[in-house]
Amino acid sequence: MKALLLKDLYNIGHNARSMLVVLLFLAIAIVPTSGPVAYMVMCGVLCAMMIVTTFTFDEASGWTAYALILPVRRSRLVLAKYAALAVFCTVGILFGLAAGSLGDYLTSDGPGMAAAPLEAAAGALVGWAVAFAMGGTAIPLVFRFGAEKARILIVAAFVVPAALVIGLGGLLQAAGVTELTEQTLIALLCASPLAALAWGAAMYRVACAVFARQEC
Amino acid sequence: METLLEVNGLTKAYPGFTLDHVSFAVPKGAIVGLVGANGAGKSTTIKAMLGLVNPDEGSASFWGQSLAQAPACKEEIGVVFDGLNFYQTLTPAQVGRILRAAYRRWDDALYKEYIQRFALPLDKEIRQLSKGMKAKLGIAAALAHRPRLLILDEATSGLDPVMRDDLLDVFLDFVQDEEHGILMSSHISSDLEKAADYIALIHEGRCLFTRPKDELRYRWGVVRCGAALFGRIDPAEMLAWRRETCQYDVLVPDKEAFQRRHKDAVVDSATIDDILLLYVKGERAQ
Repeated sequence: MKALLLKDLYNIGHNARSMLVVLLFLAIAIVPTSGPVAYMVMCGVLCAMMIVTTFTFDEASGWTAYALILPVRRSRLVLAKYAALAVFCTVGILFGLAAGSLGDYLTSDGPGMAAAPLEAAAGALVGWAVAFAMGGTAIPLVFRFGAEKARILIVAAFVVPAALVIGLGGLLQAAGVTELTEQTLIALLCASPLAALAWGAAMYRVACAVFARQEC
Repeated sequence: METLLEVNGLTKAYPGFTLDHVSFAVPKGAIVGLVGANGAGKSTTIKAMLGLVNPDEGSASFWGQSLAQAPACKEEIGVVFDGLNFYQTLTPAQVGRILRAAYRRWDDALYKEYIQRFALPLDKEIRQLSKGMKAKLGIAAALAHRPRLLILDEATSGLDPVMRDDLLDVFLDFVQDEEHGILMSSHISSDLEKAADYIALIHEGRCLFTRPKDELRYRWGVVRCGAALFGRIDPAEMLAWRRETCQYDVLVPDKEAFQRRHKDAVVDSATIDDILLLYVKGERAQ
């Protein structure tokens, strides 16, 4: 699996410079208006979507057929995509945290996000969870429809996790939890990456089932 | 005869094309040339063998085992498809690092030796390499984990004769080891005439024959004759025939026997191109 992950990292590394420029422009546009946390989440989501780009590279080079003659199982090919996604999300969030904090420090009157490290950490966790869930939903779609067709369907990858969060909110309301206590909120925020990983595990199984039937 | 690869009745139906019970074997120490026109089913056969497409019927066994049951066999196989399967921004050095992580028996020194032998730059992006250099990189990548079986799907197509000759020398070196073998799909008959020990002809999804190349070159023949002689030829003496503008070309399985029976006939040695053309464009005798 290391080979597969390495291949995606090398491939995407070539796009790193242009992605860096995009993220820096977005920092100028988003940090002063929507705040550093929103920017951090956006960085995570944008980097998560690079997983679709790795499929574009694979399709352009006919990599998948080649990968299947390497001594790796099909399920490992799928798992490597989730591992790459986790790396992209982590890099995106960490970059967002650093650039967002710096932007916030430079543009706000006070100490900015540095004064609220818990808020920043919570934002990082939630941002990672959102990005991973979205990317994780995109992977089976790309395996099924190919990178180009799936780009349209990936909207679904944004809608599904959002609908789940809204649904969860509805459930909490129905359960009588109208106002979240600080403890509940912290618990929910800390649990969000675990929920995203659980979602990713379910999507991994779907992607494996799709890829098992695929011919190259 | 010990075999590295045995293909038995591989069948795969697509709309408009069927790979129909293809069978052949790759013996140890031999190069088997899979020859056929474009679209004959050579690549589909290779893909079905390797499990890239799921065959409807039949099987392929490598050292007596199927790849699905014994995926470790993949360590022993090197494959080169037509075109390099690495994204164009990678460098040969990065390709080496990726494959080193994939194969347990990857030999970095051997990879670098091939890179040097093929005069490939280690740190130049693939998109900057010529088609010939890409083909050589594919072959270096396929050989550096010391496989025992090499599968080449049109690996030399689109290359100039000098470059093809270099690569054929590499393949001939490879089969010097009696434990090694090569399955080489190509529609460039001159490559197969130079390198192959056996020829398997695939046409419209069916394997028409697998024969030692020397039998085709030295025993089979093409009779160039007029209508009178053609009328006298027993169909049992013919494999295939084709009517040209002012003569008949007839493929016969034993040119000397034919010459003895028809002393006035002009019988040439059969080239792989002759055989392919007569089977593909001509009529086949019963």
